[in-house]
Amino acid sequence: VTAERLRAVLGEIADFEHTEQVLDWDSRVSMPPGGADARATISATLTRLHHERFAADEVGEMLNELASLEDEDDAALVRVTRREWERARRIPTELAGEIAHAGGVGVAAWDKAKVSSDFDSLRPYLERQIELKRRYVDYFADMDEPYDALMDQYDEGITTRLTADVFARLKPALLELVERTDRREEVRGPYPAAGQYEAAYLVLDAFGFDRTNWRLDETMHPFCAKPGFGDIRLTTHTGEDSLSSLFSTMHEFGHGVYEFGIDQSFARTPLGRGTSSSLHESQSRTWENLVGRSAGFWRWFYPQAQRLFPEALGGVDEADFVAGVNAVRPGLIRGDADEVTYGLHIILRFELERELLAGTVEVRDLPEAWNRRMKEYLGVEVPDDAHGVLQDMHWAAGDFGYFPTYQLGNVVSVQIWQQALADLGEVDEHFARGEFGPLREWLTEHVYRHGSKYPPRELVRRITGSDLDPEPYLQYLRTKFA
Amino acid sequence: MTRPALERLKQRLAEVNDLTKATALLFWDQRVMMPPGGAPARAEALATVSRLAQERFVDAETGRLLEELRPLEEGSAYDSFEASLIRVTRRDYEKATRVPPDLVGELRRASVLALAAWEPAKQESNFEALRPYLEKNLELRHRYVECFDRPEETYDVLLDDYEPNMKTAEVRAIFDRLKEELPPLIQEVAEAGEIDTSFLEGDFDPDKQREFGLEILRRFGYTEDEWRLDPTPHAFMNTPGYGDIRLTTTFRPSDLSSVFTNMHEFGHGLYEWGVDPALARTPLGSGVSLGLHESQSRTWENLVGRSRSFWRFFYPRLQEVFPEQLGSVDEEAFYRAINRVQPSLIRIDADEVTYNMHIILRFELEQELIEGRLAVKDLPDAWNALMHRYLGVEVPDDARGVLQDMHWAAGGLGYFPTYALGNVISVQIWQRLLEDLADVDERFERGEFDDVREWLREHLYVLGRKFTPQETIERVTGGRIDAAPYVAYLREKLAPQPA
Repeated sequence: VTAERLRAVLGEIADFEHTEQVLDWDSRVSMPPGGADARATISATLTRLHHERFAADEVGEMLNELASLEDEDDAALVRVTRREWERARRIPTELAGEIAHAGGVGVAAWDKAKVSSDFDSLRPYLERQIELKRRYVDYFADMDEPYDALMDQYDEGITTRLTADVFARLKPALLELVERTDRREEVRGPYPAAGQYEAAYLVLDAFGFDRTNWRLDETMHPFCAKPGFGDIRLTTHTGEDSLSSLFSTMHEFGHGVYEFGIDQSFARTPLGRGTSSSLHESQSRTWENLVGRSAGFWRWFYPQAQRLFPEALGGVDEADFVAGVNAVRPGLIRGDADEVTYGLHIILRFELERELLAGTVEVRDLPEAWNRRMKEYLGVEVPDDAHGVLQDMHWAAGDFGYFPTYQLGNVVSVQIWQQALADLGEVDEHFARGEFGPLREWLTEHVYRHGSKYPPRELVRRITGSDLDPEPYLQYLRTKFA
Repeated sequence: MTRPALERLKQRLAEVNDLTKATALLFWDQRVMMPPGGAPARAEALATVSRLAQERFVDAETGRLLEELRPLEEGSAYDSFEASLIRVTRRDYEKATRVPPDLVGELRRASVLALAAWEPAKQESNFEALRPYLEKNLELRHRYVECFDRPEETYDVLLDDYEPNMKTAEVRAIFDRLKEELPPLIQEVAEAGEIDTSFLEGDFDPDKQREFGLEILRRFGYTEDEWRLDPTPHAFMNTPGYGDIRLTTTFRPSDLSSVFTNMHEFGHGLYEWGVDPALARTPLGSGVSLGLHESQSRTWENLVGRSRSFWRFFYPRLQEVFPEQLGSVDEEAFYRAINRVQPSLIRIDADEVTYNMHIILRFELEQELIEGRLAVKDLPDAWNALMHRYLGVEVPDDARGVLQDMHWAAGGLGYFPTYALGNVISVQIWQRLLEDLADVDERFERGEFDDVREWLREHLYVLGRKFTPQETIERVTGGRIDAAPYVAYLREKLAPQPA
């Protein structure tokens, strides 16, 4: 009986989360700008009520009654719920509402600031975010360091120290690789938007996208939302001079297929979502890079790309094109970065976030700090803030502590990938025939269907037999790029 | 100490409003954006959020605050914000506390599932596929009615949700008048001979329709900053927050109906847009009733959008957009074609006169259903028989008959009559407007709609829900609801001219 009552409460909480997903998706895809203020208020109210309901004593009492359950799934549900409940309990409901509100108005301000490359117009919103983050981490004073509290929102058991250790091993290796590689140019456009959408749908359909459960839209910043089981939404950002939107579409597909593959019985419970942001990113990076930049994939898709973009690709042979999409080219934009420089974009953000939180960098000094480090790590000059500190919306949205998960995801992606190769044999041959089903099914079986049943490091261990380990990833990069 | 109580009440009401706005967005998204596979999860989310909104509103604390605020209400002017807020909230509260939150959630869930079933049922003209959902809706409506004191007529309870305080008997009296006056008019028109409308059917590129439709709406006051327009199978208007007005329309490649649908939905949107911003996030911050709402959609669709002077300005533009189809059709022929009176199958395509007969039919069937005199399984037959009796048309299949509208699937029993009431009210308001603004036709001929919009905003839209529908009509027109001006308008505009 208690289990049923708990499920009822958790179902309501999931309904709130789904509603918040719709509010958020809509605000980025379809909302007229005049609706931004009302939307931020509505989101804040929902977050507050959601928080109030979840953090109630009643939930804790139910969890206590359910402390020893036999069934593995039930026990996992209680474990995950307890973890989230304990985190929610620490935060006053008012603060939860303020954070949601600041995210809503912050993103709306970011939209405008990015278009006009006007950092000063965003500055007060970022300062507000930092103030809220400091208030937030104060409720987690028992953690080793404040930044842990932020990371803990996205990844259970992945600490600042662990991340810093991994990044410390990656950084010199990446800097060295950047130095050593040739800087082949990407094949330039034009890639007309209509053709890009056709290409995206061809690829997505082959990957396993269907119109009954999925959709794809245009936004300034690509993302993936799941406003309910069976409702997966990808967005992309199309620019005519490059094919980067195709890669970002494959990236978002990776997020979507993870959510899509979760066991139906976990719907409307805390188990019904990917287990962590790092694991999520491991899957988006898998479909974007390990699949989407592979030779096999392009053997299948390149003739179609040539048909869709005759002007840009008609005279380019496949090998040159594939070399182009796998070239190492230090650039300004994280979302467009190659597999090597990508990590440096992340390390830069990780460092700045910790400094912002600690107060060693002030928001007003952020553009300068950003530009200096871009020069240092990647050797590029940032021409304006739109191509610098304003490029990502995460900070405006209040998502501090998220960026490292991208790079940890890269690390994990290769660990899981090697296991997939060991089980599936030559996936390149499948890809060359446009067959992605075997890989998707393998990943569903080993990763996706489990939802949040296992914490991220345990899931990695179950699949690969080892803990989070940057070595396979470094090996992969060295083999591919050195 | 009443001030803090008022603040507490406002805070609570603002939260309820936020939850309700979230459900509005969930609904809009389901109709416009959601992949079909999302329907089951969406039903759950809608049920939960609307149930929590209801729970929060009917909480005993709301009642305590309302009691505490009685002295403030009594000490404030009737039309003050404070008195209006407390009075209207009390009425809503007394009504809402009658309905258990579980039933509210069930109604919501059933309606979402039924809507999802309605679409394929309509496409395949398969009434049987929808029947169990309609039966469920009807059963829930019965449970809903039982929450209230025994009314004079069961239907009164349903009607009250859409047209507060109005009784079935009053509607029947107005509709009896229309039933008496309109069939002879339809007959006279039929005897006067055919009007050529062949040029209204053809190949009208939906992208160009959209562009032209937006050109009109922008003249009316639509801006990209606060509005949007999307295609859907069944047009509606929705406001998921202040400063965020969403119209939907249907672009049919074979005709120009979207142009009128746009203006219709714009009228709804404008009413919401024009509500005093000081009323936002309170129960006063929306249109007062569906009848009043419909009066505004019909104003912009018909009184403005089917007027000669409107087309004097826009017809040359329309000819430019569709030169092949309309280049050789003169303005008068076009005007007559878009105002042709002709019995037909589909309500939303009906002309200004026969439209009301479609509504009267639905009003009568709804009463039969809720009084238990008609079973859902017999609905198609009953529908077809009345279509024959009132409009002389034979219904070829249920897709073009009983399945054409989504309202019953959505659970909205008692909604339809407000459409015809809106027609009646629209002309009453319009006549008052014409007294203040003498040269409306000249303005329209110049493509100017700002003064009309502003008049309507100042006299009607700003009021929101501060007053009852009856009080609102009285404030705007100086009288009660009355079918006579509407009948006179229809005769003057549409009766055949003696040769």
